[in-house]
Amino acid sequence: MKTNTLTSWLALATLLALVQPALAHTGTDTVFGFKTGFLHPISGPDHLIAMVAVGLWGAQLGAPAIWVLPITFPLVMAMGGVLGVIGIPVPFVETVIALSAVGLGLMVALRLRPPLWAAAVLVAVFAIFHGYAHGRELPGAADPVGYGVGFVVATGLLHLAGILIGTVTSRPLGAQAVRACGAAIACAGLFFLVT
Amino acid sequence: MKPWHARCLIAALAVLTPTASQAHLVTTRLGDFYDGAVHPMTGFEFALPWLALVILAALQGPARGRWLILAFPIGLLLGAALSAWQPGVQFVQIVNVAAIAGIGLLVALAMRLPTPLFLALGFVVGLANGYENGEAMVYNTDRFLFICGVTAIGYVFATLALALINTFLDGRGGWRAIALRAGGSWIAAVGIMVAGFQLSTLYHG
Repeated sequence: MKTNTLTSWLALATLLALVQPALAHTGTDTVFGFKTGFLHPISGPDHLIAMVAVGLWGAQLGAPAIWVLPITFPLVMAMGGVLGVIGIPVPFVETVIALSAVGLGLMVALRLRPPLWAAAVLVAVFAIFHGYAHGRELPGAADPVGYGVGFVVATGLLHLAGILIGTVTSRPLGAQAVRACGAAIACAGLFFLVT
Repeated sequence: MKPWHARCLIAALAVLTPTASQAHLVTTRLGDFYDGAVHPMTGFEFALPWLALVILAALQGPARGRWLILAFPIGLLLGAALSAWQPGVQFVQIVNVAAIAGIGLLVALAMRLPTPLFLALGFVVGLANGYENGEAMVYNTDRFLFICGVTAIGYVFATLALALINTFLDGRGGWRAIALRAGGSWIAAVGIMVAGFQLSTLYHG
């Protein structure tokens, strides 16, 4: 009996020793917070290449497009995000996102120079669909503001990456390299479109 | 079981008992002043309007923008005090989110506002933000210290951030103001989406 009592106490002590403190949620960096939002545009290659293409095209077009396009994009993307948040159905989202990579890639590859307003409108139309795709995830986020900050910052940084790559357009070889990048983006977009 | 066995086991159980869960960080354990000072840093919804407002102040120019250092902390002080007096006003949250979107847009457009209007904006944003921070006070919080903490950090943030951004703008290259405007567009984008989310939550319950 004594041995049994000792064994029971030891078993209870062992069980309690294995228990971990409950860490419910501290409100920082939750699973659906900043980190998830930040990774959303980066982990989707179709988003990623289209965002870089916006920056590349802006750099290729020069001032004022170099800053008008990256400022236009997040603002209009937010409108698309609201449509996603509210749950208004928008058709062909994935198709248009793939098309955005094709279209923007071709613009860079062919070095097309439409008027500023036309470039801004084209980028804005694509931004609605990208924003919609991001916005659909927002209502499920534990920290919606953190999620929103994450994906907006990631999108902006991808634009910046495109602009920085695009600065080599001032050199002849660099301009050719940027056009090659545009062609590669268009091809990748075409791949996403057909698969 | 011998008595000392039982004592050892009880001691072992006491030592091995799991610690309390820390679901919500209510206190910094440094006192209510620091709780108030740290609270605005605990969420993007508090920090974003502050940042947007300071960038907007910098874009107004040093002579006009520096008045924010006065108007904003006074707004925070009154807002936090109001939350202690009349808690639970729901629309303040919407005001704060609208402020993120609105001020972000003003920054993106590099809008120069008349000084009284800019000061009123700084005061109202401080009021709404102070109120929302003040809502974090619980029954045993020393309200005076907490409110002082919120106000002090607002003053320190506005002063330091404004000085830093003005120094940044004074540097060479026209890209600096454009970078701030791009930052404003990012802040506005977050504000627009979160405003949409909150309105849809209100509408759909």
